[in-house]
Amino acid sequence: MISQLRQAGTLIGLVLIVVFFTVQLPETFLTARNLINVSQQISMLAVVAFAMTVVMVMTDFDLSVGSMASLAGIVAAVLFTADQPVWLAVVAALAVGVLGGVVNGVLVAVLGILPFVATLGTLTIYSGAAFWISDGKTIFGRDIPKGFSEFARGGVSLDAVGFAGVSLPYMTILALVVLAVVWVTLEHTTYGRRLYAIGGNAEAARLAGVRVRWLRLSAFAITGLGAAVAGLMYASRVASANPTQGAGLMLDAIAAVFLGMTMGKEGEPRALATLVGVLILGILDNGLTQMKVDSYVREMLVGTIVIAAVATSSIGRRA
Amino acid sequence: MKRLMLPLALAGFATAAPMALAETVAVITPFLAQPGTQAYVQAFQEDAATRGWEVNVIDTAGDMAAVISRIEDAVTQKVDAIVVNVDPAQVQAGLQTAADAGIPVIGMDAGADPLIVTNITSNGYAMAAETSVYVANRIEGKGKVVMFVFDAFPPVQIRGVVADAIFANFPDIEVLDRITPDVQDGGIADSRAKMEAVLAANPEPGSIAAVWAAWDQPALGALQAIEAAGRTGEGIVIVGMDANPQARDAIAQGGNFEASMAQDFVGIGKAAAEATARAMAKEEIKSKVTYVPTVLVTKANAAP
Repeated sequence: MISQLRQAGTLIGLVLIVVFFTVQLPETFLTARNLINVSQQISMLAVVAFAMTVVMVMTDFDLSVGSMASLAGIVAAVLFTADQPVWLAVVAALAVGVLGGVVNGVLVAVLGILPFVATLGTLTIYSGAAFWISDGKTIFGRDIPKGFSEFARGGVSLDAVGFAGVSLPYMTILALVVLAVVWVTLEHTTYGRRLYAIGGNAEAARLAGVRVRWLRLSAFAITGLGAAVAGLMYASRVASANPTQGAGLMLDAIAAVFLGMTMGKEGEPRALATLVGVLILGILDNGLTQMKVDSYVREMLVGTIVIAAVATSSIGRRA
Repeated sequence: MKRLMLPLALAGFATAAPMALAETVAVITPFLAQPGTQAYVQAFQEDAATRGWEVNVIDTAGDMAAVISRIEDAVTQKVDAIVVNVDPAQVQAGLQTAADAGIPVIGMDAGADPLIVTNITSNGYAMAAETSVYVANRIEGKGKVVMFVFDAFPPVQIRGVVADAIFANFPDIEVLDRITPDVQDGGIADSRAKMEAVLAANPEPGSIAAVWAAWDQPALGALQAIEAAGRTGEGIVIVGMDANPQARDAIAQGGNFEASMAQDFVGIGKAAAEATARAMAKEEIKSKVTYVPTVLVTKANAAP
């Protein structure tokens, strides 16, 4: 009972936050338009966080996701400036994501470097590459094709289901698709169960015949791909690419996964739990802005909530 | 019990949210950590206070997508006007949301854009021209110049373009290096390290004539490097831009750091407030850009 309550604690926290904002902002918070705004605002973070969940299942980390997101945006934008079609630029950016993830995977799984150190190194490499390829410039304006930037502004109209004039953004749909893919992969495939086995005890998993090296490598590749997807979404959202623009995603993504981990039975990351973490961060940002809470206070508050949630859960676990 | 702490903590902030019916203005910037931004945001707030507006300042700490998100939130909240301090090209989605809701958006050192009522700023081209010709004249049109630039940020990028053009126009001026410092630490430390490397690579006294920095932090870093290398006596001329307090102090001391350009940040903040008032009164503002005058700061007028 106590352990169930502990597991549900973070979810209860989310509900309380929603109730709180609904009461404080009766006219504007719990409206279809605002919630759809929130879903679009968190979509990029969500994709990075879902991708991060994949490696964190193995108790690994990927600190390079933020700079990979920047690099993917820059790769696409540089190809745009070279008059390449949108599909080619997108495919190339995603390929760079997979490649970067494979590099992380080789460093961690084959060479045996600690993920923290390996991905800290690649964080710097990918960030440097983004600056190098772009010459340090922000690529924007006419260089970014309409077809690319319109993606972040468009959506599927919800007129048919009773929300006149509101549409479900493509960004939100894409994040939901990524969630579905990560959820199915982790929860409903042998592949996913083996990742959890590695997270539980890598040595035992190896002795049980799990190909630990290959699985870790591929998991990092998935995370790299996810980071590239998020980077493209970000670039589309701001209709520009800047060599540092994804940097903020990494820490928030890790925070979201940690928040989610408080909901796991053994404190393990789960895709849907990560979504709860992302929602908490996104809703706090949206609601506190609407309540005109100072942005610095907001930052301190968000950090405090992450620590409080994790602390509550770990105290509960020890008891 | 523990579950209660979170909502209680949040409730504490609820009381801080005023319920007044005054005109509300959201000021949204990713750059509040910059001294210049702080100065005009503060001037804007002071001016707004005399007009009885309720101002909400939001800093996204460098995150551009978050600027769009916060504009959307401000629109949801039905503010009367929004003031932004970002390149409008990067926040088009947010500007469109505000335009659709009929909420005016004023640029405060942002950029010109059809969706922005008017952008209040300093003339970056003119400022860069002044410090560049100051350098060219001081070194009498010859010698090697080290440039510190930051092309990723359009308002700083245009300064570099003008300096490039002016130095290129002097046949005996050679640009030794065009350095983009890492600005994550504020820009001084990395600029110092980069300048130390340049000094080490050019050990001959007099081999470097000047340092042209597109803003003050790299100029201060270069000054520290020159001082640490014991090469202050070579007459290396350093110029910065923005004339922040630390730069003014260095210039006033009469060392290598000789000149900077003072933007009238207070003037920008006030002019932005004036433009906001006019926009909220539905007055038409014809020019998409409003320039606030700047002034060259040297030892003669560096005292703050």
